[in-house]
Amino acid sequence: MSFEVTTGGVDLDDIQGSVVKAYGRYGLIVARYVFFHVEVPVAGRKFVEDILPLVTRGIPWNDPSFIPRVATNIGFTYEGLRHLDIPEVTLHGFPEAFSMGMKARREIIGDTGPSLFHRWDPVWNNRDDTTQHVHIMVTIDGKEEQDLESRYQEIRQILAANPGVSQLEGHRGADGDNLQYQPAAAILPSKDNLGYPGGKEHFGYSDGITTTFFEGCGEDKNLVIGGGKPTGGDPHSAAGWAPLATGEFILGHPDEAFEYPEAPGPPLFSRNGTFMAYRKLHQNVGSFNAYLNDEGGKFPDGKEALAAKFAGRWRNGAPLVSFPTEKSANEFIMELARLQKKVWADSASSEEKNRFAELSLQLVAFDYSGDTSGAKCPFGSHMRRTNPRSALEFGKRNAFDVPGALSNRRRILRRGLPYGRVVDPTRDDGDHGVIMLIANADLSRQFEFVQQQWMNYGNDFGLANDPDPLLGNHGTNEGRVGGGRMIIEGDVVTNKPPYFCNRIPTLVETRGGDYFFVPSLTCLRMIALGIIDPT
Amino acid sequence: MNAITPMRWYTAWWNRLFFWIAHKRPATTAGLITLSLIHYARWVIIMPDQFPRFPDQPREDVKYAYMIFFSNFNGSWNQYVDSFSSAIPGGLDLFWFGSIKYPKSVPMLPFHRYITSNQIWTDYYYNAYPMASSNDVKSAKRVKDSLLSFIADSQNFNSDEFLQKYNRLLIDLQHDLSQMGPNPVVSLSASAVERNLSKEGVARRQLSD
Amino acid sequence: MANKSGNAYALTVLCPIRNGVPPGAPPGGQSYTALLRNQLQTLHVNEESPMAKVPNNYLCRFWVLSDVPYQGKPAFREHLKSDYLVFSSNFYGELEPYLEGMWKALEAGIRAILEHCFGGETVTNAKSFIEYIKKCQVTTTFFFNGSTDEPLAQQLKNLYLKQELSKFAFENQGKSAPELQAAFREFVQRTQPANLSGPTWAAGAYHLDRVVE
Repeated sequence: MSFEVTTGGVDLDDIQGSVVKAYGRYGLIVARYVFFHVEVPVAGRKFVEDILPLVTRGIPWNDPSFIPRVATNIGFTYEGLRHLDIPEVTLHGFPEAFSMGMKARREIIGDTGPSLFHRWDPVWNNRDDTTQHVHIMVTIDGKEEQDLESRYQEIRQILAANPGVSQLEGHRGADGDNLQYQPAAAILPSKDNLGYPGGKEHFGYSDGITTTFFEGCGEDKNLVIGGGKPTGGDPHSAAGWAPLATGEFILGHPDEAFEYPEAPGPPLFSRNGTFMAYRKLHQNVGSFNAYLNDEGGKFPDGKEALAAKFAGRWRNGAPLVSFPTEKSANEFIMELARLQKKVWADSASSEEKNRFAELSLQLVAFDYSGDTSGAKCPFGSHMRRTNPRSALEFGKRNAFDVPGALSNRRRILRRGLPYGRVVDPTRDDGDHGVIMLIANADLSRQFEFVQQQWMNYGNDFGLANDPDPLLGNHGTNEGRVGGGRMIIEGDVVTNKPPYFCNRIPTLVETRGGDYFFVPSLTCLRMIALGIIDPT
Repeated sequence: MNAITPMRWYTAWWNRLFFWIAHKRPATTAGLITLSLIHYARWVIIMPDQFPRFPDQPREDVKYAYMIFFSNFNGSWNQYVDSFSSAIPGGLDLFWFGSIKYPKSVPMLPFHRYITSNQIWTDYYYNAYPMASSNDVKSAKRVKDSLLSFIADSQNFNSDEFLQKYNRLLIDLQHDLSQMGPNPVVSLSASAVERNLSKEGVARRQLSD
Repeated sequence: MANKSGNAYALTVLCPIRNGVPPGAPPGGQSYTALLRNQLQTLHVNEESPMAKVPNNYLCRFWVLSDVPYQGKPAFREHLKSDYLVFSSNFYGELEPYLEGMWKALEAGIRAILEHCFGGETVTNAKSFIEYIKKCQVTTTFFFNGSTDEPLAQQLKNLYLKQELSKFAFENQGKSAPELQAAFREFVQRTQPANLSGPTWAAGAYHLDRVVE
């Protein structure tokens, strides 16, 4: 599948591929996340120099022949940069969220109670042993396990050649295994599943449907629909969307406030770099299934509808606001899947190809202006919270300077893959969750804000203290019971009363992670050569 | 958040006029209202000769007028400056245009720096309902009004009628029934200050102690 | 009058603080301003705040204006000759009843603060307190009230009702009509929605387990 792309003056060759691409979309559906400690700065710099030729750039893969079998990228914690002898002045130019590191920010982002660091994987929990601190993250994404393995071995050899750098173990795997790296893999629906053909996650939801689209990202330009920022025009077509400013995600480019985002100097150091949060999120599959069965049994529209109300999409991927009933959602997805099979098998008529394009668009080309009461998609559903589109105008057109004024600066790039496997869907303690990688130019304004104000609080939606049903911290569960609540809107028109979901358990718990700086290729070379001069 | 900025006294006259117009034209505050996160905001322009003066106090002889800005909302200025600057840049410029060396409200960083460099530390703060945002206060009024009407109307309902009307009440109040609690940590520094002050050594006191 | 928005009043007061150190202070002793700051920074907070005793007091703050900020060239540099205690308050109703209520609740504390201020010695009763405050008042140029302008007791009752009705709705979902009606009657008896002196939220409370009074 070739597509048309405009790069809009952004040098994608200098930006790391993991930032601008969700590799999973290109068939790189397995991954390993490997972490290193730098004891000797010279060795650390040489390690970076040796890895440099393997680092995947962000150039568009708008032809299948451009897509490699494996991709590799690299990022650094603040401490890691310090251990590579980055100049003090540059280090001081980093914002405090990054320099403090994710663990120290726990009160802001809600990594408390069940997500507190003492339950994290050992690799993230070595505060007292400074030789175990995480400095470098190397991500390997590949088509198949063997692609990962051969790249991994190449990196192991680079490690062996640089004894002042060590690889950190301590990733918990299945059955309490202690792993040398964090594995991850897309969950592909079974062949006879007629649901949305993209990937799933462990609660059964289709995931990775929307692409956050920004100026110069190098993706198919049609992905701006639903992925960019709302213009106030018809959201079902390109008129309703514009690309987000590059600087929301890449340093050294103008952002939505018409300026360069704050970044450490010298400019060449930060330019084309960005920040990425790595978060290992464990999923309490047993509690989720139990809650869905119990509450779903009482919820008037049934279990699948309850799951949809939590997420804002049906588990098959159909957006709730456009397909308010289970029947319409199923019909839509079945038709989409049927057409997709034909298109991929090259057996579709041109009419069918058009219909397929039209239906694919319906997965993302919507806003909430037709649902100002939340009757279709609850105000508090996960999708409506994480990306409100223009909903924060609360139906008042032109209340703000632009329709997305309150959400355009709170967007993030979601990367990463699920990890683990559900062996027993009635248990919480299996090895299953998602490795969430979040890229943005400003951790505190984007990721942390969304996490604190929109995931663990509800005031911006008029929902007082209600957290997000799926990702919110509902406190430490007692058995399967937690402190979460959600009011699912009824319908003024049909007199359907609201439904009160009570005692929602904490469904997602943080099990580790940190904040990384993902430098440009130019910066990586400068780090390797030790030539950064901020004066 | 408190901030004080100087203005040329003659510009201050214009600024006061604009404020007066804003006061009379509800459309000017429409953006602020939809933002809905502010409890209260006020701007106070003090002309050079308006500083309060008592007999034994030295007379002030400043040349600038001074505008003091006070705001109260859920969250911190750091967190929400982006929302203000993106949503109501024109309004912000109208309020601050006369202040000396005011950069406009867009781009955001210079505006943010201007305000924070002119910010003044609050020595004491009291809020009658620290667990309620302004949305919550407004929502609570709706609940009270609807509840009282419902109680009055439903005195003589049989139980089936009651159930029906109760469900109707819930629909009307469906966006007003989320529960409140302590607010998210505004900033790590603020919570550290609070924790440090409550450790042994700094006892809290009444006004007249 | 720009001080008001509906029934809500925005009071801005600048009390000039006496210069230097109090008489009889040791050499290098604390200035009036420093003493005042100390007092303010260690006052009880939340429901134990002295300000919670002041009727109809929505929200208030104290801070010290030590000097005006210099913006850098070409702005000129100038200074205030005194520090000012800035008191800003949002409350329900008219100024005089508010100040009377404050004097009645906090007379001793007010005197203790005004000892540090020019003209403070003229404040000996509610009437002279009101006069003093009016002299120190600066007109609010623009007041935006994003909240409601009901009396405080009503706002607190409303918040209490919002929270309690929510709990009721969650707990009684799915009950049969007769059960629900009976439960609701109990709810009304317990919460007394029309009675402002009945159960309500305590002013200044910051913990869910201490908020109902």
